[in-house]
Amino acid sequence: MRYRNLAGLLALAVLAVLTFGSQADALTGLKTFKEVVISIVVTPSPAPVGWLAPKKQGLPDPFVRNVQIASAGAAWDVAPGAPVMIAQSSAQPTPVPVQFVAKPDPNAAFLRVIPHPPGAGFYTVPYGTTVLPCAFEIFTFYTNSYKLQDWGYNTTKTGGPNSGTFPIENYPTVSDLSWAVPDFGPIFTPYWNQGPGGETTWSGIKNQSQQHCIDLKIVVPNAQPAGSFTATIQYNLYVTLP
Amino acid sequence: MRRRAAVIAAATLILTTARIAHAAPAVTTGSAQLNYKVLPTVKAQVVPNYLSGFGPTGGLGSGLTPAAGPSAVLNGGTVDFGNVVVGYQYLYKYAAQVKVQTNDSAGFVVYGEGATDLNGSAPVPSPATYPIFSTLYWLPSNASNSPFTPATSFNKTNGNPIGANGLNGIDYTPVGGTPSPISVVWTSPTSGNLVQGFDYELRLSGAMPASQFNVYIVYTVIGN
Repeated sequence: MRYRNLAGLLALAVLAVLTFGSQADALTGLKTFKEVVISIVVTPSPAPVGWLAPKKQGLPDPFVRNVQIASAGAAWDVAPGAPVMIAQSSAQPTPVPVQFVAKPDPNAAFLRVIPHPPGAGFYTVPYGTTVLPCAFEIFTFYTNSYKLQDWGYNTTKTGGPNSGTFPIENYPTVSDLSWAVPDFGPIFTPYWNQGPGGETTWSGIKNQSQQHCIDLKIVVPNAQPAGSFTATIQYNLYVTLP
Repeated sequence: MRRRAAVIAAATLILTTARIAHAAPAVTTGSAQLNYKVLPTVKAQVVPNYLSGFGPTGGLGSGLTPAAGPSAVLNGGTVDFGNVVVGYQYLYKYAAQVKVQTNDSAGFVVYGEGATDLNGSAPVPSPATYPIFSTLYWLPSNASNSPFTPATSFNKTNGNPIGANGLNGIDYTPVGGTPSPISVVWTSPTSGNLVQGFDYELRLSGAMPASQFNVYIVYTVIGN
């Protein structure tokens, strides 16, 4: 009898735990997500760490002599400055037709990204630290409470430091790209690079629509070769389920 | 004595004259320097959907699996992304292959740009066009490419489209005869028969209207 009671209590406890867990799972769900792609071009020369002065002439050169210049008989095929233009050969094959049918985004009422790309279409950044004010904006809304989370796309918790790529490296290396929401504060946070889950960007209450700028800060280390790079950030909208 | 010397001289003259009269014509040899130039020529072809496996991927999170539209056929047709969702990113693999044949030892430059912006139809949006810049991108084909691989945006040309929306190419006469340097997609320092494949990326801003969009990408090859 006593054991039967104990078994019953245990069963009740397990049931309670399972019930609580399933309720916890039901609390939030991933409503939708969006990828933000930031194009970056790192300019070719890192800041010089030293400067080598040109060698000074100490003593006169004892071997100075006239310099001979080899020359062909006719110096120019076409004299410079002459009013002659040589046409370059060119070809223009048949153009490539491109088409697509743009469908409306079914989740645009809940999560939107408003890009603010620079005139060149990409950010040109030098070595060192660069802040990109309001690189893009994000709009969020839901009929229940919600939270917006971000993480560096393609990063993993277990990939190791060599599995990531600049500028969002992989954990445990700290990301070279950081974000801040100036409406909430000036503090920059390196992008989460431990895979999905991510970090909370902001939260919202029931029926609250909000749109905020995202400032970016990028740090280009001197060891980073110049070139073109993209940073892909995934924004997840988790909502409280009814 | 003088008479004898005169006779000998006359005989020598006769013999010499006869020998010259019967000798073969004189052969002279020499060299001439010939300078000439071979005029450079450039030929090019562009093949859309140039490899099996062409077509769109991506749209992560849109809920719609992309598939090439009916206008896309192997080794021809249209680079047809099919249905795509505003606010998402796509990659079109093996979109176009540029083939160049040239004897120009200095090589060549290939430019690629939109004959127009993206032309909307069905329904016609307002305005009727959407910027190609920061929407349609190109990158060299590579099996590892993804919708997020670094790519370069196509630009709208400064030249005049020929035919409807540039169906027959672009006339660069009003802009100095060449495309803008920002539209360079490939350079080669050597001559030969060379080939380069390109993938396209579509990054659709959330502000893009729902519509069917079309554009012609014009490639121009110019010898160096």
